[in-house]
Amino acid sequence: MTMISNSASVRCAGHTVTRQEVEDFLYTEADILDHWDYDGWLALFEPGARYEIPTTDHRPGWSPHETGSFVDDDWDLLRARVKRLKSRKAHAENPHSRTHRLVSNVRLSEGDTEDAFRVSASFVVHRARDGHFDAYVGWYDHLLVPTEDGLRFRLRRSVLGHESLAAGARLSFIL
Amino acid sequence: MGSNPRTVPAPMIVEDWDQLTFRVNREAYRNAEIFARERGWVWMHTWLYLGHETEIPNPNDFKVRTLGGRPLIFCRDSAGEVHAFLNSCPHRGTVLCRENEGSTRLFQCFYHAWTFRNNGELAAIPDAGAYESSEEFGASMGLRSVPRLEIHEGFVFVAFDPDVPPLLEYLGDAADYMTMIEQQHVGGMTTLPGTQLYSVRGNWKLAVENAMDGYHFAPTHNTFVGYLRESGYAVTDDNQYAYNLGNGHGLLVLTGHGGRISMLWEPRFGEDERVRTEAHRAEMTQRLGEKRAHHVADESHILFVFPNLLLFDIEGLSIRQLEPVAPDQTDVRAWQLVPREEDPDTRALRMKTVVSFVGPGGLATPDDIEAYEAVQRGIQATAGTVQPELDYSDMSRGMADEVKGVQGRSIDEGAMRGFWRQWVEAIGLDDGLEIHGERPASFLAGRDVR
Repeated sequence: MTMISNSASVRCAGHTVTRQEVEDFLYTEADILDHWDYDGWLALFEPGARYEIPTTDHRPGWSPHETGSFVDDDWDLLRARVKRLKSRKAHAENPHSRTHRLVSNVRLSEGDTEDAFRVSASFVVHRARDGHFDAYVGWYDHLLVPTEDGLRFRLRRSVLGHESLAAGARLSFIL
Repeated sequence: MGSNPRTVPAPMIVEDWDQLTFRVNREAYRNAEIFARERGWVWMHTWLYLGHETEIPNPNDFKVRTLGGRPLIFCRDSAGEVHAFLNSCPHRGTVLCRENEGSTRLFQCFYHAWTFRNNGELAAIPDAGAYESSEEFGASMGLRSVPRLEIHEGFVFVAFDPDVPPLLEYLGDAADYMTMIEQQHVGGMTTLPGTQLYSVRGNWKLAVENAMDGYHFAPTHNTFVGYLRESGYAVTDDNQYAYNLGNGHGLLVLTGHGGRISMLWEPRFGEDERVRTEAHRAEMTQRLGEKRAHHVADESHILFVFPNLLLFDIEGLSIRQLEPVAPDQTDVRAWQLVPREEDPDTRALRMKTVVSFVGPGGLATPDDIEAYEAVQRGIQATAGTVQPELDYSDMSRGMADEVKGVQGRSIDEGAMRGFWRQWVEAIGLDDGLEIHGERPASFLAGRDVR
C-alpha cells in the first residue's frame, strides 16, 4: 500500500469531506456489524460496490482478479453473502460470533477517480466463538463516495496483518 | 512407543459384512499416540505432496514449507533442477532459510555463516582450516536432501523414506486424474500467488472425510445451494459417484453442484463466457477426442491423494494441502491452479467464482470447517466412557450397494471407507482392523476415462 496523506479533509465530487465525518462513518459501520444488522450494513454500499479480503501473503499491487484471495465479492456476491449471513442455515455463524471492533489511524487521500476518495484505517476485531477468543488485526483500504444521503462504500477492503489465519479463525463473519 | 503403556484401544476400525456396518474408533481423532504413529509411520513412509513446480518457476526460486512437522526448503537450483532440502543447517541444526519465499543462489546460516549453494553443496565454512580434513569434511556437510523427490504433471512429491515405490506406482489410478487436469488447457496449468493459509481446530482426517463426503453437501451448504438456484442452476445429487482408487486415494465425480469456468457453463457466468466455453469445449474435443474431453470437461472431480493432497477440480481448480499439527489441529494451505493462457475476463470470473465457494472466507468452506470442528468437540461426549462401544463413528452408508457390486454414489461413504482402510494399515497396528464376514470380491472398481 502506498503511503497516503494525513490531511484533515479531502475534496471529492464538489464536497469537502472531513476526517471526522469518515471516522463517524467507520464507527457507525463497526457498531452495525457488532450488532449483526446486515441490512443496515448493506445500506452503507453504493449499488455495484465490492468487498475484498486479500490473502495473508498479499503484496501491494496484487489484483484479486489475478491472484488468490479470501473474499472477492462483486455486488451480486456481496448481496448473496448478506442474505446467507441472515439465514439460520449459515452454520459457521449459527450461533453468531460476538465481535468487538476498534477502528483507528484514519487517514484520507484522493482516489483515482474524481467522484471517490481513499480511506486507510487500522482495525482490531475481537471475536468470541466456541469458547475461544481471537483477534484479527489489519488495515482497511477503502474507496468511499460522498452522496446526498451520506458516505457510501464503493470498495470495502480489509487487509490482514497476520502471517496466516490462526486455528479457528475462519472469515465467516464480516471482517 | 518405547515402554510407555499403550493408549490406543483395539480395534480402530470394525468392518462387518454380515451387518453391513463400518465403524471408526473416535480415538483416531484425538489420541496422542495415534498422532505420533501418523507422524512416524504415515508421514515418514509414504509419498507426500510438497508443492507445484510452477510455484518456483525460475532458476534460484525458493519457498519454505513444513511437512510432517519438518521444515523444508523447496527450491530450483541455478541449473533449473528442483530440490527439497531439510531446512536445517548440517552444522548445528539452525533453520537455514528464514524467509518464506524468494530467489537466491546461496543459503547462508546466520548463526556461524556456513554457506550452501542452492544445489545443496557446501560453498563456504568460515575458518575451514580449523577442521582436520576440511575437504572430506566439507563434502559430508552438504544440505540434507529429502531422500526421494519425483514430479508428476508438475505436482512435486517427496518421501522421507528412500524405499518407497516409484511415485507413479504409488499414485496408481490417481495419476491419470492429475494428467486430466494438465490436459484441460492446451498451454498447461500454473499456480497463482495469493495462497490461502489457515488452520482449523480439527483432526486432519476430518478434512479428508469432508472432501470425500457428498452426503453433507445439501444440508451443510444449504445457503450456497440457495445462491446457485437463484442464479439459475439446478443443484442435484443424481448420477454422481465415488471411487476408491487404491492406496487410500479417493475420487468423487460430480456433475450437479455448479458449473466450471471454461468447461461447463452456468447462467451466473454470463453470455460472453458461454461463447468462450463452447469454443474451448470444441477445441478440447478436437485435441482429446469426445470421450476423454467429456471426462475432463463435463464432470467435476474431487481427488484425494493419500495422505495430504486434495484437488478440488470444481468451479475452478484448488490445490489443498493438509499438515497435521496436533490431534485436534490442522494447517491448511490452498492454491489456485489456472490455465497458463487465459482470457483476462475469464480469469477474473474464475478467481471470483472459486473464492466464492472455496476457502475460509467463501460462502461454503466455513460451514465445512464448522462441521469438522464441531465433530472434534462433539466426540468428547463418548470418550473414555464405561460403554466403549459407543465411542465409534458410523460410516456404513452405501455398503448394501457395495456387496451387490453397484457403483457407490457420491452421497455414500465408500470413498471414506477406502481412506480408513489404507490409514489403519499405514499406522502399523496389527490389531487395528477387525473384519466380520466376507469382503465382497468387486472391492475396487477402476474407471474407464480414456
